[in-house]
Amino acid sequence: MAEPLVEMHGVGLRLGGRHVLAGVDLTVAPGALVGLVGANGGGKTTTLRLIAGLLRPDAGHGRVLGVALGRRPSAERLGYMGQRLALYPELSVVENLSFRATVHGCPRDTVDRAIADYGLASVAQARLATLSGGWARRAQFAASVLHGPALLLLDEPTAGLDVVTRAALWSWLADLARRGTGIVISTHDLAEAERLEAVLLYHEGRPSQQRSPAALREAYGAPTLEAVAMARAAT
Amino acid sequence: MSAVPRVAAVAWLESLRLRRTPTTFTLLILVPLLQVLLFGYAIRPQPATLSVAIAAPQRASVEALAQVLNRDPDVRIVAIGDVGDAVAAVRSGRARLGIEIPAMRSFAFPDAPVRPIHVVIDTSDASLAVPAEARAQALYWRYVARRARVESSEPGITVERLYNPQARADWSFIPALVGVTVMIAAIMLGAIGLAREREVGTWEALLALPTRRWEILAGKTLPFLIIGLAQGVIVLAAGRLLFDLPLRGAVWALLALLPLYAAAHLVLGQAIAARAKSQMAALQGAVAFYLPAMLLSGFLYPREAMPAWAQALGSAFPLTHFIAAARACLLRGADAAAVLSAGAPILAFLVCATIVALATGRQID
Repeated sequence: MAEPLVEMHGVGLRLGGRHVLAGVDLTVAPGALVGLVGANGGGKTTTLRLIAGLLRPDAGHGRVLGVALGRRPSAERLGYMGQRLALYPELSVVENLSFRATVHGCPRDTVDRAIADYGLASVAQARLATLSGGWARRAQFAASVLHGPALLLLDEPTAGLDVVTRAALWSWLADLARRGTGIVISTHDLAEAERLEAVLLYHEGRPSQQRSPAALREAYGAPTLEAVAMARAAT
Repeated sequence: MSAVPRVAAVAWLESLRLRRTPTTFTLLILVPLLQVLLFGYAIRPQPATLSVAIAAPQRASVEALAQVLNRDPDVRIVAIGDVGDAVAAVRSGRARLGIEIPAMRSFAFPDAPVRPIHVVIDTSDASLAVPAEARAQALYWRYVARRARVESSEPGITVERLYNPQARADWSFIPALVGVTVMIAAIMLGAIGLAREREVGTWEALLALPTRRWEILAGKTLPFLIIGLAQGVIVLAAGRLLFDLPLRGAVWALLALLPLYAAAHLVLGQAIAARAKSQMAALQGAVAFYLPAMLLSGFLYPREAMPAWAQALGSAFPLTHFIAAARACLLRGADAAAVLSAGAPILAFLVCATIVALATGRQID
């Protein structure tokens, strides 16, 4: 069995003297599509930042891409798409992607392939500042995956997207997972989370056990993930 | 993969962003020009003319003094009157200097006591008080000499002014202005640029890329080395063309200092932004640095006039060393070794700023 890309055991973090995260147990194997699900402020973004090595935990232990949690994993093998649109608005799509390709040391045709793969040809020369939210998100997704990462971290990638772009994004994610990329995605859309193989349901910095949506529903005797979330919030 | 392509990619990104932000780019070029024009044509540490009011009970005394004053092109008589009128003119703001000549013993005033001439100076602006008093003293002795008819019999003194014969304030300001404009632009770009990246989220993305923190810092600094150099050249060229600023010493050495000097402030700006929670806080941090730098560096006020502790504090600012080097180079004709020696404290400052920026730069937002 392939070594997990992410392993976290009892991971916690305090920020500003407050526990923002506690008891995170997470495993992500190659090709897995794992969701961090729950309300805003629940600790999903913090978990992603811990995995990306942007924050250091002060409890628990684990490994990410073969490196101890808290140290910086190989950025060449990691794709990270933050919640905010982290591309430069003064630059065109192609210029933003070229910058990412250069710092990753990608071959010359990488940008052309990314533009073709993610349907960006019609806006390739347009500056990010002039694009709609949907196109900008597509460009951001392309920038996050063009170097072929082994592990992809996505923070609320579907927030504010139209139905068509959302469907396209899920199809790209499924394709990447089929090719062996381990994906961790955060979302507060519980209906969307039903698509995932496994989820951690967050509530005030404390996630549930990692289970499939069906197993989680069964454990709580609830018909939907939304009902599970309500039940956790009530306790 | 070596660090060079990553540093070059960040540098390319920064220069492209600067070119695509016309306001920033225009300000980087226009502000230095505007400052040269202001300091060249408008800003003077002392008034060109001294406004004087004279008063005396005897018309003859007033007229004798007025004759002396009229021979001085830098003196303007704004009021002549009777006892108390000169003081009144100063109090009302019409004159900076008032001269009250007491009654002289004469046929009309046979019992007048011998009293000194009473001079009143408006010292509400302290910087004008000392020159006005010195002018009053000089006028008095000229007046006494004229009355005693010793003007032509004494050898007098000859004064030779080195480096700036006309004591032109613009020649003193413009070399210093090179350092001031580059300092303000670099520190602002460094601080606000990074703070903005943190607010919009591109900083978080950069930290998650293979670029190391020092590579980002180096890449962001590189384009500004050229911009800082260009700003310095613009100020010097404008000074030369518009104000005949002398370029006597090793000007190439002064220009060679500029990239190092610009880098020191850009990195400091990034260190400030790394600690700041918002663009506004970064802006305040930048201002909190460059205001004391301007005041303690000798740009506006001579360092010799400051207490020892203020001089010591001023020595910590790269601007102080750059201004000394620029004036030595341009006015006194200093050679390359003397000009480049200012690079040592600036380099030390750059090293300290880099350590702080790297130590604090991992804050995400």
